[in-house]
Amino acid sequence: MIQKMISKEAIADLIKELQKEFKVFGPVKEEGGVLFKEIKDAKEICLNYSNSKIPAKSVLFPMIDTLFSYEKEGKKVKIIENPPYEKTVILGIRPCDSMIFSLFKNFFSFGKYKDPYVLNRLENITLIGLGCLEPRTTCFCTSVNGGPFNKESLDVLITEFKDNYYLESSTDKGEALIKKIKSLTDADKGDLAKIEKLHKDIESLIPVIEGLDSIHTKLDGLFDHQMWKMESQGCLGCGTCTYLCPTCHCFDVLDENKKDGSGRRIRIWDTCQFPLFTLETSGHNPRSTKLPRVRQRIYHKFNYYPKNYNIIGCVGCGRCIINCPVSSDIRNIFMSVEKMSSKTEG
Amino acid sequence: MQLESPYIPILTTIKSIVRENEVNDIKTFEFVFNDEEDYKKFDYIAGQFAELSVIGVGECPIGIASSPTEKGSIKFTVKKAGEVTTALHNLEVGDIVGIRGPLGNGWPVEEMKGKNLVIIGGGFAFSTLRSLTIFALHEDNRKNYSDITVIYGNRESGEVLYRDILEEWEKRDDINVVLTIDREQEGWTRKVGFVAPIVKEVSPSPENAVAIVCGPPIMIKTTQDVLKELKFVDEQILLSLEMRMKCGIGKCGRCNVGNKFVCLDGPVFSQAELNKLPKEY
Repeated sequence: MIQKMISKEAIADLIKELQKEFKVFGPVKEEGGVLFKEIKDAKEICLNYSNSKIPAKSVLFPMIDTLFSYEKEGKKVKIIENPPYEKTVILGIRPCDSMIFSLFKNFFSFGKYKDPYVLNRLENITLIGLGCLEPRTTCFCTSVNGGPFNKESLDVLITEFKDNYYLESSTDKGEALIKKIKSLTDADKGDLAKIEKLHKDIESLIPVIEGLDSIHTKLDGLFDHQMWKMESQGCLGCGTCTYLCPTCHCFDVLDENKKDGSGRRIRIWDTCQFPLFTLETSGHNPRSTKLPRVRQRIYHKFNYYPKNYNIIGCVGCGRCIINCPVSSDIRNIFMSVEKMSSKTEG
Repeated sequence: MQLESPYIPILTTIKSIVRENEVNDIKTFEFVFNDEEDYKKFDYIAGQFAELSVIGVGECPIGIASSPTEKGSIKFTVKKAGEVTTALHNLEVGDIVGIRGPLGNGWPVEEMKGKNLVIIGGGFAFSTLRSLTIFALHEDNRKNYSDITVIYGNRESGEVLYRDILEEWEKRDDINVVLTIDREQEGWTRKVGFVAPIVKEVSPSPENAVAIVCGPPIMIKTTQDVLKELKFVDEQILLSLEMRMKCGIGKCGRCNVGNKFVCLDGPVFSQAELNKLPKEY
């Protein structure tokens, strides 16, 4: 681990240095919220934000992702593979969102079929995260193996302190990167001790949800429980919770054609909250009402994920709570699960 | 290193198209691989499926109707239903179709060795049962299975698929073929009645047997009841599930039943396995 610092004013120098070798993505303020975009001009970056509206997942797993392109001429068909992925840095990602990089690595490489699009990007992306000084009231990262300064999925963690940013590497990739950046100076030892305390103090501000680490076993006995009727009643089925969720990865596959007969096969973000998601051509739909769809979202993240990949499918960012149009709060579902499972056992 | 993409289809060419029913909404397509090497790599067993691509329209998952013992090409029986299957039906011999596969687990042909096979199908879901039966009857494999019974039902005689092959099977003495249609029809000389009561009439013994059931949900349900009456246990009943699918490789997230994916862990499940999963299929 190495620790360095840079003054806030000099962040543009750091970005310019990174741009020599990498495509740099970072949080950018746009109408409607912050999202991750490629930084062309260092001035665009907005590191003074709580969290992006759309998670940085969009860099690793874009909303629209080309699987391959094709050209058609008469009866002939030609398939064209994607160009290799460029070396990329994501600067300013929050530690909670960075956790999906390990989660996706696990999921997209699981089993017989590897997903080359996500896995190639993973290999080529370096993550420079930004610790959270002001967690939101909807944050619960510490209940799902994360934390406001969690380095587990980051290559470098930045902590904002006074007029400086402190950088700390947590992987070899991160260490190599820090060593290369000339605009960094040695960290002030006195400040480092204070930063360590700051990390602990802020982490303790986030309330811990009891029992969330064992929720998958509790859900095992609750699939047919009537609680899902209540939990799904208010849901509008808009899918916002899934589209803005960093861990959601379900997709649809479509062919997009140009007028000249060429085109590309793409995958686009999809949601289990829409009835069309599982509607079969015959008309049969195994999840035809809101109840099984709301239940699917919870089971996929908190029961199927732990069972299949031994990880919890949630990073505790709270986006689904903040953005739900009917103020449905996933933490209330956790409470119901806790209550109902203890009743069922009793 | 760039990983190979399991989403990129292999290109094949349509060699033949057979019209399978009177209303002409079911056709069997035979494909030959444009590159012989790709065919060698397409190592499948009965009961697996593949994603068929009409490039520019999309993909759909279809069970493989040919048997791995039928060399040189692969066949799929496709009902015209949605966008991609309609586009497929509009293609001609010589047109290019993309294929990704083989996908899914398939019928457990190894585990079924030494057993009596009771193959029960209804309607156009018979395609992977065609594959299985041809495979089991092949001279290299026939000795591996004991009695083979095929019970195949349709609503009417015009819907019966694979007539030539069924007639060939009827002539053999190492397979018991029982064909039925729902109601009496002029010219029909085989059984009349729904599949379930015909299974009851044929009354296959559960001893050292495995029942392989494929068909519409109501047929599956009524047949299961009859098989239970005949003392088949849940481990002896095999079913092939259908779910809406996109990727076919366990990533797109829509064909799960509980924590299992129909595309990866299935489509073949025993009734005993399904009993452990939520009834969400």
